[in-house]
Amino acid sequence: MSDSSSSKQSAFDRRAFMAGAAGSALVPITARAAAAEARPPVAQDPALPVDVTLHVNGKEKRLRIDARTTVLDALRDHLKLTGSKKGCDHGQCGACTVLIGERRVVSCLTLALAAEGQEITTIEGLATDEHLHPMQQAFIDNDAFQCGYCTPGQIMSAIACVKEGHAGSEADIREYMSGNICRCAAYPNIVAAVKQAAPEIMKG
Amino acid sequence: MTAAAPEPKENMGQPVPRYDAVVKVTGRATYASDMPLDNPAYAFLVTSAIAKGRIDRFDLDEARSVRGVIEIVTHENAPELKESKLFSDGGYAGTTIQPLKSAEISHDGEIIAVVIAESYEAAREAANRVKVSYTATAPSATFDSPGTTAAAAKGQNAQFKEDAKVGDFAKAFDEAEVKITAAYGTPTQHHNPMELFTTSCAWMGDNLVIYEGSQYVYGLKNGVAEQLGIDPDKVRVVNPYVGGGFGSRGSMTPRTAIIAAIARRLNRPIKLVPTRDQGFTIATYRAETRHEIKLGAARDGKLVALRHEGAEVSSRADAYCVGGTKTTTRLYACPNVDSLVSIVRADRNTPGFMRSPPEVPYLFALESAMDELAVQLNMDPVELRRINDTTNEPIGGKPYTSRSLMACFDEAAKAFGWAQRSPQPKSMSDGDWLIGYGCAATCYPTQMAPSAARVRLQRDGRTRVEIAGHEIGTGAYTVIAQTAADRLGVPLEKVAVFMGDSDLPPAPVAGGSNSTASTCSAVMMVCDQIRQRLFKAVMPDSLTEKAKETVGISPAPTTQAAKSDRPLDIEKAFDALGVGVVEEYGEWKPDGAPLDSFRAMHSGHPRLVGGHQMKDQIAYAFGAEFVEVRINRFTHEIRCPRLVGAFAAGRIVNPRTARSQLMGGLIWGMSSALLEATEIDERYARYVNDNLADYLLPVNADVPGVEVIMLSEQDDRINPAGVKGLGELANVGTNAAICNAIHHATGQRIRNLPVRLENIEA
Repeated sequence: MSDSSSSKQSAFDRRAFMAGAAGSALVPITARAAAAEARPPVAQDPALPVDVTLHVNGKEKRLRIDARTTVLDALRDHLKLTGSKKGCDHGQCGACTVLIGERRVVSCLTLALAAEGQEITTIEGLATDEHLHPMQQAFIDNDAFQCGYCTPGQIMSAIACVKEGHAGSEADIREYMSGNICRCAAYPNIVAAVKQAAPEIMKG
Repeated sequence: MTAAAPEPKENMGQPVPRYDAVVKVTGRATYASDMPLDNPAYAFLVTSAIAKGRIDRFDLDEARSVRGVIEIVTHENAPELKESKLFSDGGYAGTTIQPLKSAEISHDGEIIAVVIAESYEAAREAANRVKVSYTATAPSATFDSPGTTAAAAKGQNAQFKEDAKVGDFAKAFDEAEVKITAAYGTPTQHHNPMELFTTSCAWMGDNLVIYEGSQYVYGLKNGVAEQLGIDPDKVRVVNPYVGGGFGSRGSMTPRTAIIAAIARRLNRPIKLVPTRDQGFTIATYRAETRHEIKLGAARDGKLVALRHEGAEVSSRADAYCVGGTKTTTRLYACPNVDSLVSIVRADRNTPGFMRSPPEVPYLFALESAMDELAVQLNMDPVELRRINDTTNEPIGGKPYTSRSLMACFDEAAKAFGWAQRSPQPKSMSDGDWLIGYGCAATCYPTQMAPSAARVRLQRDGRTRVEIAGHEIGTGAYTVIAQTAADRLGVPLEKVAVFMGDSDLPPAPVAGGSNSTASTCSAVMMVCDQIRQRLFKAVMPDSLTEKAKETVGISPAPTTQAAKSDRPLDIEKAFDALGVGVVEEYGEWKPDGAPLDSFRAMHSGHPRLVGGHQMKDQIAYAFGAEFVEVRINRFTHEIRCPRLVGAFAAGRIVNPRTARSQLMGGLIWGMSSALLEATEIDERYARYVNDNLADYLLPVNADVPGVEVIMLSEQDDRINPAGVKGLGELANVGTNAAICNAIHHATGQRIRNLPVRLENIEA
């Protein structure tokens, strides 16, 4: 789980990547100097496959992928977990939201390499065979979706919203669910769903 | 019942949860780009950086050197594709601008190259390394740009048949006691469905499978076959779930045939996931419009003269237009009406349908002007609508099949608390916030199109419905399942529905809000065919006509009344028939559909009928919308804390899914007034805010309070299902209601959308 053990499994060196890929004018001069001190920049073709081990929904997944692969594309194109959706690829819409550890993150802006060794939870990891997660059930009860494309991201975000303690009032829910766009505009129903599921989730 | 699942009123079905609810909350709903492909190559588009001119040269060396690149396709080596006509000219395409055909550039963001690589990352990198030299000429961007051309819509757009007129407008307006002349404008808007405009193509020998979010699988199948020059039966379009459409996926875009042809050339499945910003130029959009409205009225508020002139932007290549005067000239009683629609051609991609294409811009103008007239008459705007309410449209004098406009106004006004409004502008406030109340009417034509369906019933009641309809978020699976369960008298949980596949019996485009009316009417008819077979097996031939009607084997049990009140013992009937399965296929078409309807249905032409185009009647759904705006007197921040809408749309098959659509529509309406506009850099005819951060969409915090009221309404003159489409009803008129409320709050009349805080004067 630790940083060092995961980078041992990987043929790819993250520090070298940082220095190689970002070793131009974009990085603050101090940071660049620090990286250069640690190790001279190694030009590495980013298209060369690297080995990555991801922990997804409680399972270990070994992958050999392009170093630039995001968590989202790793899930969708390489692990066949297509529940997480690509709506913008810019972190603007929230359709790709997954949990990394307890945090909700936009998986389109997170490199798979950067998630190595951390527990990733996707929409596919919520329900057991018999039971939906309370947030999933609440989304059904309150008709909190129409086309359903943003829904996996909304649900992952909603679970984190509750656990962060941001589901105390409708105004709070609206504010802290505003990183997830729903073009069908199911918003009032999403608020009702989060409100319904919050007590059950907090109970554990 | 939760707020999401309102108690059904008379002529409403049960608010059952969505058929597709569980797959959608568990991530198992497979949208087009979720479909597994065997060893796909990845495509990435390169789009034009100029709006007008030509490509002089590509420098592809650097792009080709990227590891994993398989092929780069430009106009110099593109597969040959046949042209497809615009849908309004009898073709399938939403644009006749066909990329990769020549070096000429027709608009900014046109597809100019397709990079194919072993990975998405490599394709993207190589696309970024494609170097293009252009010779650019100055483009014409929009209204008032040098070089645009303007001409009447009539004569250049085959679907725009008339500029509606009646009486003598000029004389009546001249003599009117009270007059309004006002100009309005609405901006470019983009649908931005959450699902990107992806396309995956895989060939199996001569057979092509296309995974693409589409609102019309039969149109896409036939259109791509036409472009590839192959038999349409060899093309299959699959999309069981569509991540929002709003009109953007109704007609064929050029990308599909290009990707299909490249996949054939490379003999490998190809997956294209365009970027969000590319979606602004490789698909369609709602074009900017301008309007001039003239209203003349008597002192008592009765309209005596109405003129609506509209202008719309389209591309150089295509005369797309929405022509909303067909609705605005017919909404109120008025003896003297005139109208004119024109099209302004610019160097842009071709616009297309976007949720309530004609009504959103054209009713903004009319319903704003009605409010201006009410102010001038010193009359309550609701009463002005009441005085001008009508049972017959004024142009041809045809009766509305049903019209609950004023009932909607009364219900919504009551729920909103309209009586508490003090009529004078700037007369209501709460601390630093100026408060305004405003209202407007909405309406949307009731449309139907030919549809087929196949239904299979088993002895144990298990039912399978097959229809190439589309689940774009409307609840199509759910209402079709409910209709079949009701009609056959089987439990809902025994009904399975298969849609989103062009190998299934044809359904019309999921556009013009016709889907529920069309598909449910077809499913009802086919279920009745099954009922008739079963009843014949257990009933004596000698039944009287009256008895046949009672048990549901009358030749034409065509209204929604015929359902489970005629119980049928399915097991007994199966035993009498001696079969295991009863399966029926049928093709339904609405009254007044043209003779070639069924042939057209199979070849991907929907043949919609309804609205004002019916022979002896006119069919619309109606509603009334009330909004509260709050404007900070110092910062001019505009908030919209309350949206209340009341709607009547014939039979409501499912009050839950219907309410959600109407609620989403109200929020769309608010958004079209206060948020959404695609900004254009007029120097380059280029969209500037082509991403989801800069193109403002409503988020949860923008939407505090939405109330949807559905009125009970029965209309037996429209279609067997008794359904008026409502998917495009609620986002109409909201923009006017908001501007009317802003006028009430501030005394300032705003006639151009969107309204932002910088538009509010001190």
